[in-house]
Amino acid sequence: MSGSLINHVFLQILTGLQLGAIYVLIALGLTLIFGTLGVVNFAHGALFMLGAYFAVIIAGKFGFLTAIIAVPFLLFIIGIIMERGLIRFFYNRPHTDQILVTFGLAIVVQETLKWIFGANNIPFPLPRWGGGILKLHEWLPFLEGFVAYPKWRMILIFVSLVTVAALFALLQFTRFGLIVRAGMRDSEMLRFLGINITRRFAIVFGLGAMIAGIAGAFGGPVTQVDPEVGMAFLVPSFLVVVIGGMGSLPGAVLAGFMLGMAISFSAQYSAIQQIIIYLVAVIVLLVRPRGLLGQKGVMEE
Amino acid sequence: MPVIVFAVIALTMPFWFPLVGGYAGLDTKILIWAIFAIGFDILLGFTGYLSFGHAAFFGVSAYVTGLMLLHYSANIIPAMIASVIVTTIIAVMVGFLTLRRSGIYFSILTLAFGEMFYAAALSIFSDWTGGDNGLTGLPTPELFSMPFKENNVFYLVAVLAIIGYYIARRIGNSPFGMMLRAVKSNQTRLEFTGLDVKKYKLSAFVISAIYASVAGSLMVIYEPYVATEFVHWSTSGKLVIMSVLGGVGTLFGPMIGAAFMLYFENVISAFLQEQWLLVLGLVFMFIVIFLPGGFVEGAQRLKRAIAGKAGDGNASKGASE
Repeated sequence: MSGSLINHVFLQILTGLQLGAIYVLIALGLTLIFGTLGVVNFAHGALFMLGAYFAVIIAGKFGFLTAIIAVPFLLFIIGIIMERGLIRFFYNRPHTDQILVTFGLAIVVQETLKWIFGANNIPFPLPRWGGGILKLHEWLPFLEGFVAYPKWRMILIFVSLVTVAALFALLQFTRFGLIVRAGMRDSEMLRFLGINITRRFAIVFGLGAMIAGIAGAFGGPVTQVDPEVGMAFLVPSFLVVVIGGMGSLPGAVLAGFMLGMAISFSAQYSAIQQIIIYLVAVIVLLVRPRGLLGQKGVMEE
Repeated sequence: MPVIVFAVIALTMPFWFPLVGGYAGLDTKILIWAIFAIGFDILLGFTGYLSFGHAAFFGVSAYVTGLMLLHYSANIIPAMIASVIVTTIIAVMVGFLTLRRSGIYFSILTLAFGEMFYAAALSIFSDWTGGDNGLTGLPTPELFSMPFKENNVFYLVAVLAIIGYYIARRIGNSPFGMMLRAVKSNQTRLEFTGLDVKKYKLSAFVISAIYASVAGSLMVIYEPYVATEFVHWSTSGKLVIMSVLGGVGTLFGPMIGAAFMLYFENVISAFLQEQWLLVLGLVFMFIVIFLPGGFVEGAQRLKRAIAGKAGDGNASKGASE
């Protein structure tokens, strides 16, 4: 009995991690862009969606491996174009204008995709090496009997953890990261010190878009690929950012996996599952208005 | 004075609106959205707080009206009163949670909590709301056994829109309205003068939610059916788009925006087919980038340009003489 309970809990944790993985990746980009540029990107879900569509197309023509290399790169470029071509003109305008213009962009991307690919879900076949199941009980001695999990979902969890680790390493151990972190604290001070943060901020925007692209390419086979998916994932990702604390990268990771777990463990009460993330958000906001790891002074007037 | 102009335009709509290609009933819909948009302007235009969750108030109110008509009585009075009460309570709760921090925070959270109501309507409340199918099979609404259809609904909506516009203008010109505008221009300064800013923000939020609830309720009276779309974020998005297109903070602008948007959606879309929303998105982006004051600012600029040209002409003439 206790063995089957361990199995059950273990599988729920995996499902929670897998659900959380996509939220974490989208929320990381959101909070990175917000923290550095002060812009709330309502088009971030659209970037995630673009990643998924590009992955389907490229995987269909050139194979999946090409897709997972090309898509993050493409999104990086798109992110930089978006920052240089649109967002930078909004740094000196009210925050509401930034939200409005990215919201407009999100609609344009969504409707363009709908126009080209139709409103329905397009199939995203898994590569041959990514299909099937992993027999977890062969590796993990504490599991009893037969415990298996879809291989692709394990890959998704792995990829998101690697991406998180890479991003933190980049920010923690490089000079670029040092400047970006300093910029998140006080960008004005950096300007006074004569550091060109504008160029680096364009790269930060590109990075955020790139991470959304990774989420799209690896998450696409698990989620649906339709023109609504961007907004569907943007809303929970916003909650992740708020629960984690605006502008806090570790907070986004923590909150993303936490929400994944909340959804996963409430699965047996199916009606509650649909609104569990909002309930968690309400509780966190009442108890800790700044979010779990939010810092004082961010987003406070 | 503007109220009288609006009253004349609104009340004569059934006569001139078909001439520009509007079908019967679209004028009613436009005025319902106009009520929704006026209320929204009290929040966005006055205080500068951009909500992406007003579909929740519109939708919840529509569901309450629908349920009242279905289970209590086909009389619209109790249905509308119940809708406004329920929406007000919800608005106070949502406002309390979302208005705690800056404006960006507010936009994100209203979007999220708005979606909570959508998710809830389709899951835990689906036995009441009819789930994905929406709430159907409603009786024809009536007022003291006078059935509400076509023209009756139009005049009810038109009268409420005129009253709504009048009240909004009164609010805008009152000391309370000045306070709301002060929130937009410099909240910190307002706080330092010892005022409870939160109270003003919450009041504006609740007032706009009441307008949303009247609009949502009227939508069900106009067409006795509650679509799940009413609570969906796209309804909030539509409201934001029409307000910005028309001109935020002008009260009249958002109503023009509402008329434009519905005209675009229902009449012009015939020429653009499926891509009308794409075109609208592009128009919206264009306005946000180049004309943040919307149509109203556009009209003012045009007027000034014409006046300016005339002025330049006079000036040069004066110089040459």
